[in-house]
Amino acid sequence: MFANFTAGGTTRRKFLKSASALAGLGVLGAQLPTRVAAAGEPIRIGFLAPLTGPVAAWGKPGLDGCQIWAEWINDAGGISIGGESHPVEFVSYDNEYDAGKARTGATKLIRDDGVKFIMMLGGDTWPGAQPVADRTGMLFSTLLPSDLGPDTTTLIAPAEVHPIYNVTGVEWLAENRPELKTAVMCAQDDALGLPSVATYLAAFEAAGISMLEDPLLFDPATTDFAPVVTKLLADDPDIFCLDTAYADYVHPITEQLFQQGYGGQIISCTADFYEQMIEKTSVEFMEGFVFQFPDFDDPALNADFINFRDPNRFYEVYNERHPGEWGAVSWEYASIMDLWKEAAESAGSVEPDAVLAAMTADGTGAHAFGTADWWGKDLFGIDNALVGNWPVVAIEGGKATIKEFKSIPDWYDKHGELLKKHMAAYNQMWDQR
Amino acid sequence: MIELLAQTGLNAIYAAAYLSLVAVGLVLIFGVMGVINFAHGELFMLGAYAVVALYSGANMPFLLVAAIGLVFVGCVGLLMEVSMFGPLRDNPLGGLVASIGFLLMLQALVSMGFGVRMEHVPPVTQSVIEFSDKVRLPVQRLFVILAAVVFLALLWLFLKRTRFGWALRASAQDPEAAALQGISARQASMIAMFIGASLAGIAGALTAPLNSVNPHMGHAVIVAAFIVIIVGGVGSLEGAVFAAVAYAVIHTVVTTFWDGVIADIVGLSLMLLVLIVKPTGLFGTADRA
Repeated sequence: MFANFTAGGTTRRKFLKSASALAGLGVLGAQLPTRVAAAGEPIRIGFLAPLTGPVAAWGKPGLDGCQIWAEWINDAGGISIGGESHPVEFVSYDNEYDAGKARTGATKLIRDDGVKFIMMLGGDTWPGAQPVADRTGMLFSTLLPSDLGPDTTTLIAPAEVHPIYNVTGVEWLAENRPELKTAVMCAQDDALGLPSVATYLAAFEAAGISMLEDPLLFDPATTDFAPVVTKLLADDPDIFCLDTAYADYVHPITEQLFQQGYGGQIISCTADFYEQMIEKTSVEFMEGFVFQFPDFDDPALNADFINFRDPNRFYEVYNERHPGEWGAVSWEYASIMDLWKEAAESAGSVEPDAVLAAMTADGTGAHAFGTADWWGKDLFGIDNALVGNWPVVAIEGGKATIKEFKSIPDWYDKHGELLKKHMAAYNQMWDQR
Repeated sequence: MIELLAQTGLNAIYAAAYLSLVAVGLVLIFGVMGVINFAHGELFMLGAYAVVALYSGANMPFLLVAAIGLVFVGCVGLLMEVSMFGPLRDNPLGGLVASIGFLLMLQALVSMGFGVRMEHVPPVTQSVIEFSDKVRLPVQRLFVILAAVVFLALLWLFLKRTRFGWALRASAQDPEAAALQGISARQASMIAMFIGASLAGIAGALTAPLNSVNPHMGHAVIVAAFIVIIVGGVGSLEGAVFAAVAYAVIHTVVTTFWDGVIADIVGLSLMLLVLIVKPTGLFGTADRA
């Protein structure tokens, strides 16, 4: 058929040698200081998360949210420490979801930028920053409490108890759609996917929902999800669980489910940019899609127990500035800053140990979704996760709607042993990681 | 089970189709120019972004946009030849390094122009050909399969039946003898670069509504394409097509019946096995090794 093509002077061996250089390519980092409206010596906060690359959707929207938070705080006079007001300023470093870059970034933020607190997404990047935290005593936060361990006392998970809150979605489904009895699950094989797999397995078992087969793990580099969906739909599941997958996976998997004729229930940790999924499928197909992250224009967030400052206005401003970019983490880093600010003002200091002591003093904290407890020794070896209620969200008529706030501690009191069993099976307990 | 096998077969045909387009373009460039174009995955990405800009953004008809994407990415390929590969013709490693630099530059430019987030590409059609309840072929996927067949057939005709095609083959087989016959190596390189880049561009454009379009999407594609051309035999176009089909079938079947991570391991093991048993690749020749 075709001819052989190899130019003179270039050999297969040369090609193979050169091809080995493919690994390790990265892109440029970024540093984006925020506008500072308040006067005085600024307090600098580090933002060390993926701002580019496939995981950027769980970093960049959080930084955008923090910039709104900083403007609001600075316009209101800044942070009051020992009677003196200070503006707050974010210094970001793009770790590209790479542990090595996270380590470099943490060092730079502390040494060069003089930050007093560093917020991270965590996951695969935490092992890079952990030695820096241990060496410097800097206070770090993660969105993923599965990063917690007793060896690093200055790492806290004050906003999100990923993946434990996923149990609330399954519990709600079991209560409201008891006819659903079987499930399948797929997940990317990484530090975000695996603990979430263990959590969903525990939640399904607790709810009396049978797994039709073991969770299907896929390489994070996967781009074509047709084989994954074909395999899992072969069992005719009542529930298709997308675990904690990035938007780059949730969208094509959902589209594949639509194209391959699935008509059952879908549950996922996130549904970022769900309007786009609706456009690729249909309003009818997406009806009842259950996930865990509300739009902040939801009226349910105006309840008295909600601690997030003016959520509806925050959502409005966010969408004015970043139309169509609201996602799971848009509010989370800002809500961590609410806690940090309150603790720093209470301690009269921005030093990491003083802020941490003030934050955890009475064993409770003002979480965005209500008062919560510092918890986690059983599961993470340390009580550094702030755990309370979490919303269950379903898409109704093309719009995310909070269905109920459910208690994570209540679920854990009843089914904690199941969770530990599955976490251990996936080597996700703190002493196994 | 028959339905599962049939759906798996359709999935594999789709994967083979777009992978063939990318791999054949890469082989063509390597064969004629002796350059390992690491930026080939980014040419695929540029094709997808042409769709983002003109189809999603400007609401132009999809097939017109795909054609524009083909020509646009072909022109980017020409630019690479003129600005990098041509001047570095006597320095194969220089071309390699330059292509890595170009790769990073394209990623950065697209990130600056479009942002880093996954881009939304509305579906071209939601029509599905239903063979049964569980055997379905979305028409969008059919477009890709048909396009691959058409473009590979056109390439075959071009190489076998046209003077330019003969010149290209002659330049690839023996550049000095070709030059003595009056064939311009530079012209052959430019044609190869345009065609190779165009094939990557059309693959990226046609699969954009089915893929996660982001500035880094070329990475996964280029890794698979490298496996394919190593298995097929570096420099062999027919080897690239054969290996793309084999790799897609094996990867899809293993993913469906076992697991996606195991499928990747099997794919890489296949490459290692071929290198051990037949180091020149399935269709490669010993004198090129």
